[in-house]
Amino acid sequence: MTAPPAKVLIIEDEKQIRRFVRVAVEAEACQVIEAETMAQGLLEAGTRKPDLLILDLGLPDGNGIELIRDLRGWSDVPVLILSARSQENDKIDALDAGADDYLTKPFSVGELRARVRALLRRRARSGEAASPLVEFGNIAVDLSRRLVTRGGEPVHLTPIEYRLLSTLLGQPGKVLTQRNLLREIWGPSYIESSHYLRVYVGHLRQKLEDDPTQPKHFLTETGVGYRFQP
Amino acid sequence: MEDKASLLDGSLERFTRTQALLLSALACVGTTVIATPMLGYLDQANIVMLFLLTVLLVAVKLGRNAAILASVLSVLLFDIFFVPPRFSLAVSNIQYLVTFVVMLATALITAQLAAGLRQRAQESQCREQRTQALYQLARQLAGTLTIGQVVEIAQAFIKTQLKAQSAILLPNEAEPGLTAVSQEAALPIETHLALVALESGQRVRSDEISGMGYAPLYLPLRASMRIRGVLAVRFADHSAEPSDDTISLLETLASLIAVAVERLHYVEVAQATEVRMLTERLRSSILAALSHDLRTPLTALVGLADSLFLIKPALPTTALETAQALHEQAARLAGLVANLLDLARLNAGEVTLRREWQPLEEVIGASIKLLGSALAEHRIKVELPRDLPLLHFDAVLIERVFCNLLENAAKYAPAGSAIELAARQDGDTVEVSIADHGPGFPARRRDELFKMFVRGESESGKPGTGLGLSICKAIVEAHGGRITADNRPAGGACVSFTLPKGIPPVIEEELP
Repeated sequence: MTAPPAKVLIIEDEKQIRRFVRVAVEAEACQVIEAETMAQGLLEAGTRKPDLLILDLGLPDGNGIELIRDLRGWSDVPVLILSARSQENDKIDALDAGADDYLTKPFSVGELRARVRALLRRRARSGEAASPLVEFGNIAVDLSRRLVTRGGEPVHLTPIEYRLLSTLLGQPGKVLTQRNLLREIWGPSYIESSHYLRVYVGHLRQKLEDDPTQPKHFLTETGVGYRFQP
Repeated sequence: MEDKASLLDGSLERFTRTQALLLSALACVGTTVIATPMLGYLDQANIVMLFLLTVLLVAVKLGRNAAILASVLSVLLFDIFFVPPRFSLAVSNIQYLVTFVVMLATALITAQLAAGLRQRAQESQCREQRTQALYQLARQLAGTLTIGQVVEIAQAFIKTQLKAQSAILLPNEAEPGLTAVSQEAALPIETHLALVALESGQRVRSDEISGMGYAPLYLPLRASMRIRGVLAVRFADHSAEPSDDTISLLETLASLIAVAVERLHYVEVAQATEVRMLTERLRSSILAALSHDLRTPLTALVGLADSLFLIKPALPTTALETAQALHEQAARLAGLVANLLDLARLNAGEVTLRREWQPLEEVIGASIKLLGSALAEHRIKVELPRDLPLLHFDAVLIERVFCNLLENAAKYAPAGSAIELAARQDGDTVEVSIADHGPGFPARRRDELFKMFVRGESESGKPGTGLGLSICKAIVEAHGGRITADNRPAGGACVSFTLPKGIPPVIEEELP
């Protein structure tokens, strides 16, 4: 373990929430930087170069979504959002702006640590050369040959199904908003036609999940979008 | 014009019929007395002029009958006193017949003209007075603030101008039909006729019932948007047919009242809207403040309790057990607060549904995943027909319904038993049911289950607040569906809800 500890920037205005988030993050052997306001957070993000940003969407001095847009201009550091349940639209906007994942208040320390671990692991892996082979459950996907097998048997996917699959596989663990996926796969004129996306995710589940009604890999983030869980 | 009219009017009012005739006779006798001494100096033709003048004046001043009397008397007196042979009715010269005829004709024509003039003047004065009164009334009505004032003013007007009793009937919001706005001396109303007037928008009259003391005349109060009510009138002299003037006056009056009533109606609507807007703004700001102020400390509480587990060196076991209990209690409280706020927002109509066409299957899967460990002790069986259409619903809210219902089932059904989730198409709806093998709902209070804070067993040891089902009901009803709770014949509770099918959008088939 010669690598320096990962740096995590927490931007949260409530002192007590900051306190337990710090404890949880430190339990993951990370170094913590705290910021109370958006302005301070942006400054710290620029100077300290953190490996992960935990951002409360309800900051008093501005909209967290603006901060993410700013940040994405010059950094691809993963961003984990903390939001209230009633802020569905803010959550989607933040994810569209480039946030990676979200937690809804109140959340347990266990959940928080799991998300932090996953995001840091993904960041560490992003430097490695991407392999064209992806495996999950009994499914194997060879992205270079466009081959999908289930338990060794080839699975036939339509072109759109395949494109949806490869888009989801491309960002494992990340929440992809409906808007994002629709734009990517069907094009900008389909952004409001969410039923297409739902029907095709349904197809993928039928073909690749053991129990399509209780999926293990193609997860629904209700009201927000989808997440591929390897 | 006005002076003349009042002069004419005054003369008529001053004298009765007999007095007018007496005066007329006196005038003729007077003329005779004045003219007699002049006989020597004046020609007879000029004396006739004096009589003619008298007839003219009498006609103008005292009316037609007096004028006719005057002309006959004048002819007689002229004949007796001035035409030779004097003091007899005999006429020596046939040419005096012309004098008589001219005199009589003059008297009749003048009287006729004068009478007509007087009547017109009288009419126009009457009209003017009514216009003035209507103008006054319009001004008074424009300043009214309540329906009661409108009625009072209108009734006073009808009483003074038409010497009639009246009542104003307005549609009642609570029940169909018309109710009279408070009146002191109640005027009996034939409700049936009033309704006819209201519905047809026409004036309705029935003389038969006026003898029995009912109001015989009903006029619709027609305003620009619709008919606002009915004006009922009963004249003091109820046997007489109301004149056209009276009817048209009443109709003008009815439209004035209608405008006033309509104006008050819109004032009321505007005020109610403003109050509602203010209430809503207040409520939503209270809800927003509450949800932030409650959630923040609860989030901190849940997280801080958790963080006690991370303290190195580890706390003694009893302390950790306390920390775990703290976490659970705070999480429960957070759940309760979330439910309460949701219900408040749903009840306030604050929630706008973000409806999208989507398969039911997906939201069921997401709910099961979300509940996670809470369902660990039960087997969840999902049976959906393959041909289930896409449904139009707000996924976040319907997920809440599934979570609440599954959580309930898991709470009451014994560990290890199955929870069965099924859906079927039923006409133009899809019915979803969630059934368990628990004790079922107590028969006694089943219809109350969906009310706030009502629980199946009031003294149950199971944690819960009795909010879950009310939230489900509010959400399902916001989607245009129904929710029912029942017990299955084989035992166990079963909650079903429906969602309307609608017309799902077409998904273009992908080219192979």
